[in-house]
Amino acid sequence: MKQIRFLKWGLGLVLWVAISAFAADTLHFESRPGSKVKVEGSSTVHDWAVESLAIKGFMDVPANFAKDPAGAAKNIKAEVTIPVRSLKSDKSAMNNIMWEAMKMKEHPNIEYKLLELTPKSGATQGSAQFEAKGTLTVSGVTRTNVMPVTIEKVDDTKAKVTGTTGVKMTEFGIKPPAPTVGLGFIKTYDDVKITVQWLTEQAPAAAKTADAAK
Amino acid sequence: MKKKAAARQQQDFNRRDFLKGSSFATLMAMLGGVELRAQAQDSKPEEKEPTFTVKCGVIGLGARGREIVSTLARLNQADIAAVCDKYPAFMKRGANLAPKAKPLDDYRKILDDKEIKAVLIATPTHQHKDIVKEAFQAGKHVYCEAPLAHTIEDARVIAHAARGAKKQVFHAGLQMRSDPQRHFLLPFIRSGALGNVAMARAQWHKKQSWRAAAPTPERERELNWRLRSETSTGIMGEIGVHQLDMASLFLNSRPISVTGFGSLIQWADGRDVPDTVQTVIEYPGGVRLIYHATLANSFDSDYEIYYGSDAAVMLRENKAWMFKEVDAPLLGWEVYARKDTFYKETGIALVANATKLAAQGEKPVEEAPFTGTPLSYALESFLTNCNEISNAVDDFAASFNVNDKAAFDKYISEIRMEPYATWRDGYGATVVAIKANEAVIKGQKITFQNDWFELG
Repeated sequence: MKQIRFLKWGLGLVLWVAISAFAADTLHFESRPGSKVKVEGSSTVHDWAVESLAIKGFMDVPANFAKDPAGAAKNIKAEVTIPVRSLKSDKSAMNNIMWEAMKMKEHPNIEYKLLELTPKSGATQGSAQFEAKGTLTVSGVTRTNVMPVTIEKVDDTKAKVTGTTGVKMTEFGIKPPAPTVGLGFIKTYDDVKITVQWLTEQAPAAAKTADAAK
Repeated sequence: MKKKAAARQQQDFNRRDFLKGSSFATLMAMLGGVELRAQAQDSKPEEKEPTFTVKCGVIGLGARGREIVSTLARLNQADIAAVCDKYPAFMKRGANLAPKAKPLDDYRKILDDKEIKAVLIATPTHQHKDIVKEAFQAGKHVYCEAPLAHTIEDARVIAHAARGAKKQVFHAGLQMRSDPQRHFLLPFIRSGALGNVAMARAQWHKKQSWRAAAPTPERERELNWRLRSETSTGIMGEIGVHQLDMASLFLNSRPISVTGFGSLIQWADGRDVPDTVQTVIEYPGGVRLIYHATLANSFDSDYEIYYGSDAAVMLRENKAWMFKEVDAPLLGWEVYARKDTFYKETGIALVANATKLAAQGEKPVEEAPFTGTPLSYALESFLTNCNEISNAVDDFAASFNVNDKAAFDKYISEIRMEPYATWRDGYGATVVAIKANEAVIKGQKITFQNDWFELG
């Protein structure tokens, strides 16, 4: 059952890209509201999480993706930017501690750049699951990251990219915060989990329409 | 989404949540018998550079406007760029409190200044409507003193404008809604610690005329707008709005009716608003709030008391005490809490953070841990929320190249805000206060109609 559902998604994605490919050599996708990134971690006192609803970015998919998913996947370009200030916790006191630890003033954005996308489950079936290799820049420190991602078709023009990866704060030169709150027992742990839910929509490459917020 | 909305206003409480916070303190107290203390105040936190500042302007520099200016001057998130009053003496006095601010005589000059992001309006109540409307049109965040207006029609115009301004913050000046001491008490009272709430009482007593001297008859008329019923909602509106709003918040419901009485006892100087008022405000379940306010006597100043079958709680300035019935169940922590004597009664101090044993200082804490005024917390919340919303609007524009109003509204509704009085809170409290004043003037009972609270 799971396999059938997977095939349906995979084939649907290939067919969709094949039909869309008549229009251009590269399909250009841009960020849309409904995107979300969540960073979760733990501490000596409780688990914590911060979330952002603002993901800026694009994904360019070669038009030959349908014919040669394995080959084309390597040429997919994607870049994502997340403003650090948009990462927030339900506990407002935590925000300043986190922003300070991430040196927000000097490095206001988290950046991700895709280097290589490798289909994970057989090129001929047009798999919707990939292994994404990219560079992740946090607090001005760039590290290579490998993350399994799933690309889903949402409707005729929208695709959702989801993925989860684990990183260590210290990899990016961030000292796990140990704020002097209460009795001073709080110490956050080094490991954090990043979950991305990136909603994109196909858009003309050069289109610059008016935004809702201006 | 629902979860976010709940977190946003932090208004859903239950007894378990409250007890969770106090259980660790109880355990610690039982183990060693240590006194529960609020956060240590001995070491001053080092002055840090603010993470943001908001350029703001204050419109109206009477006593309240000047209090706003001097409070803002102590907040490092505030950059007071301009202060405004058309009366030169007030403008000068306001400007003295904020030497770097531009003194202006016309609020439109503040609205025209693109650098100023937020305005705080403390003009006479009947002048709020036009200024709020124009401020929203100019793209400013708005803090408007309560009551929002002297008529329901004007208040509705303000609420409409605020509801439509999704990219701007609107705070009603019900500052006690931002007070952490009140937020500490809210779950305590709502979780049923008082038993069955039987009734409530609140008062505001000051011996003062409310009349200010002015150099000309025209200025005298303008300055003493509170003393004429055509422009004033009287003591019920100008003062009662805050205490009635708190009662509605703690009792978790809107009042059903108000019966009022008013007299001019002490200051029969030509004014046509009472200087002494008494009202009975009825809430669902037969709970009634008795509220009295006077300008003729200052005994016992101002406070609110909620009476329940297990305990009464008195809120006074930034402090609160619980008076337990002898047959009330033991909560645990109160055995070790500080006690204060009021004639023959013993009040158990309800101190925010103490039940969480946030820290142990060197000395017993005699004062409440939140030493700021409700106004300072409200203005801090306002500035923080202005910054949050401005950033969120910019981030949305930078991230999503779309003109999708529904998506924007959903996105902005999920931005977490510091506790504050929304346009809905401000409008509701204003309607209650205006009708309470009407009941006082007419000396009759007024039953609240649901449609008065709807904007349409």
